[in-house]
Amino acid sequence: MSDTTRRRFVAGALTTGAAAALPGAAEARTRKTRHNAKRRRTRTADVCVVGAGFAGLTAARDLANAGKSVVVLEARKVVGGRVQNHELGGGRVSERGGTFVGPTQDHVLDLAQQLGVDKFDTYDTGDNVYMADGRRSTYSDTGPTGTAPLDPTILPELALVVQQLDSMAGSVPVDAPWNASSAADWDGQTLETWIKNNSASPKFRRLVSLATRPIFGAEPRELSLLFVLFYIAASGNETNPGTFERNFDTRNGGQMWRLVGGSQQIALRIAQQLGRRVVLNSPVRRIVQKNGRVTVTSDRSTVTCKRVIVAIPPTLAGRIDYHPLMPPERDQLTQRYGQGTLTKVAAVYDKPFWRDQGLTGQAVSIDGLVSATFDDSPQDAGAGGDGVLFGFVGGDAARTYQRMSPQEGRDKVLGEFAGFFGEDARSPKDFFETRWTTEQWTRGCPVGIAGPGTLLAYGDQMRAPYGKIHWAGTETSTYWNGYMDGAVRSGQRAAQEVLDEL
Amino acid sequence: MRRALAIALLLALAPAAHADRARWDTRALATVPPPGYPARAYVAPNHRIYEGTYDNPSGDTVPSRVFEYLPDGTLQRSWTIQGQDLSQAHGVQVATSDAKGRLVLLDKAPARVIKLDPRTGAQTTYATFADLPALPDQTPMADYGAWGPDGSLYVTDYQQAVIWRVPPGGGAAQVWLSDKKLDGGPFGTAGIALAADHRTLVISQGSEAGLAAANPTTGRIYTVAIGADGRPGPLNQLWESGPAEAPDGLAIAKSGRIYVALVSPVANQIVAVGPDGKEVDRSPATFDAPSSAAFLGNSLIVADQSYVNGDPSHMQILDVAVGEPGIAELIPGRKAKPHARKKARHKHRRHKRKRRQR
Repeated sequence: MSDTTRRRFVAGALTTGAAAALPGAAEARTRKTRHNAKRRRTRTADVCVVGAGFAGLTAARDLANAGKSVVVLEARKVVGGRVQNHELGGGRVSERGGTFVGPTQDHVLDLAQQLGVDKFDTYDTGDNVYMADGRRSTYSDTGPTGTAPLDPTILPELALVVQQLDSMAGSVPVDAPWNASSAADWDGQTLETWIKNNSASPKFRRLVSLATRPIFGAEPRELSLLFVLFYIAASGNETNPGTFERNFDTRNGGQMWRLVGGSQQIALRIAQQLGRRVVLNSPVRRIVQKNGRVTVTSDRSTVTCKRVIVAIPPTLAGRIDYHPLMPPERDQLTQRYGQGTLTKVAAVYDKPFWRDQGLTGQAVSIDGLVSATFDDSPQDAGAGGDGVLFGFVGGDAARTYQRMSPQEGRDKVLGEFAGFFGEDARSPKDFFETRWTTEQWTRGCPVGIAGPGTLLAYGDQMRAPYGKIHWAGTETSTYWNGYMDGAVRSGQRAAQEVLDEL
Repeated sequence: MRRALAIALLLALAPAAHADRARWDTRALATVPPPGYPARAYVAPNHRIYEGTYDNPSGDTVPSRVFEYLPDGTLQRSWTIQGQDLSQAHGVQVATSDAKGRLVLLDKAPARVIKLDPRTGAQTTYATFADLPALPDQTPMADYGAWGPDGSLYVTDYQQAVIWRVPPGGGAAQVWLSDKKLDGGPFGTAGIALAADHRTLVISQGSEAGLAAANPTTGRIYTVAIGADGRPGPLNQLWESGPAEAPDGLAIAKSGRIYVALVSPVANQIVAVGPDGKEVDRSPATFDAPSSAAFLGNSLIVADQSYVNGDPSHMQILDVAVGEPGIAELIPGRKAKPHARKKARHKHRRHKRKRRQR
């Protein structure tokens, strides 16, 4: 993030906060809305894209490259959506949101290459830490369980359940999970129900939350089994069927690489290419389809266009006012496809001290708030740069964390970090957190999730265009749904859909 | 200007990229998601690849699907087929497309032609096939189709020894050609394509199990002319396969060579047959029930069906380098490419201006 951008971000946040705190704020807002309406700029374009996350920006880039005029309306003051860098100083960055890329994520990797954003290996030298029932152990992720813990008390169950899930996922079509031969059965139960019926040990069941919290920001009881199987099936590409291991693992899995300069670099560079086509601070309120044209109204612009790509999470898309109304099935889908509950916590140290202990910085824990950690240090950390540890706090743990005071939360997290990596972890030089549920223009992370019955009833509405409105966003992707690659894929797909019509 | 240069550069580079690939070099573009069992991979004029899922020999009650892939194998869109009889063996093949870009699908159960509009997903029944009483044990099984120059759709039937003609505009299919040589028992008439002369149909026959030929186990390529009156000419044998090789889908190269997928486990190959009926060469036997062939640039797009083995990881769309392009598909009523239309309009306007000046 450039200094100018950062200053604008801070200034904007202060303004918003002040307006909300002042007496008579509602009146002030009304005056402001009137004022905004007067100064709202009217633009005409072939296509209007709603949302400047990876999906929206990719779509806009493809459309612009195809010679179409395009305007991107972004609610935030910055681009990137769920992918945001965090400045550490000295040009170094860590990430607040989407961080990793991995094998078979060809579309985001290709895009990064085209934009000159290199990748580097996630630090993965040494042992991982496993914390269960207050006992700490270490293991190598080169073993049979990969990133999952090598716990002899649950190893047979782990192997069996993963094998079963992978096998069931193999029969789930990534483009239409509701068409799987067992779709009705699987969408009629939660992952928790299935786990209870297919495992014996309570300890193993606790381990399942360890996976669902970072992956979905949810507990197993919140997730449709069919949705989970789809997510596993989607952890691959057209020539490599998805597996749980590829999703969960660092080595040869979805967390294998990081991007130089932080993952937001991709969004920043596309936005740079698009220039004035991207309008920030411009939340879209209304989309009207009339007389063969579409009018998109945001707080700053009114765009008249031939087609619209809505590239935001389903739950946010459902908060836009559509005229005519969205089809009821699509509307119902957006009411049911809520975002996960995830907070990302990070501590910055003078150096990645855990590396000296032969540790990767990766920990998994079935105790406490933090279920998984990673070494998110800048690429030059080994040569004396800052060391960054981040942790995922998801599902029930995130809900508990949200109720804590900032100090209480920080102390608890750092205490857990210390349990994983030693007392040095208790005294970082900086600590930052991103409570994605409180982000107005995301409302949760990492992805929209489906409880029982949703995919079967409304899944086919996820990508189905409505008149001249097309849908993008990682939730609409067939592969790597919920990941940056899925977002890029969805943007490319939506752009192609639109190009076919123009 | 810059864009024109970039396009010229890309075009210049494209053949070079193909030239690097050895003949029969095979790459997987995509594994077809469940319900799998891909049959014909159809390459549309816009270079998208459309793939239908055919029947699962173990049986299932999942409706068939059609997938749309970009030329690099990226899954773009998909559609579920409506109105199938899921209690029967069911499956669809994407036979071709029409002038409006709608996909023409051949459905097994019920035996019908569906038009699928990729823009809206709308599906309409375009034609139906009758169960011919002369063949009491065999139900219709539309297999491959090709347009004739007048807008008739010619369709092979894998189980009934006929070639159907769906009249322009659709409706009930009529028997166009009935011949004992088209009786292959369980391995009947499969591929069909209109030759470059736009009046000869090239047909592949899986076997001669109906005993119309000396060796019932071998398959054949036949040609048959569409007469000026629309009637079929005689069925001429161009080539005979080896025993139990089961020729299936086919594609015609600009050179006149015919590429035929040999779907049987005995073969698992693609064979190239010259216009003189002599075999040119064959691919290595590395496939798992290759069921179709269609040109995309200098490659063949082949659907590997894994019909017998039923291995989902083998149910793939493959890009097989052959080093030569195919003939353009005739799609009656299809307008020229937009840029060609633009050029024509521009020419027309210039002509009008000139006339005014005179």
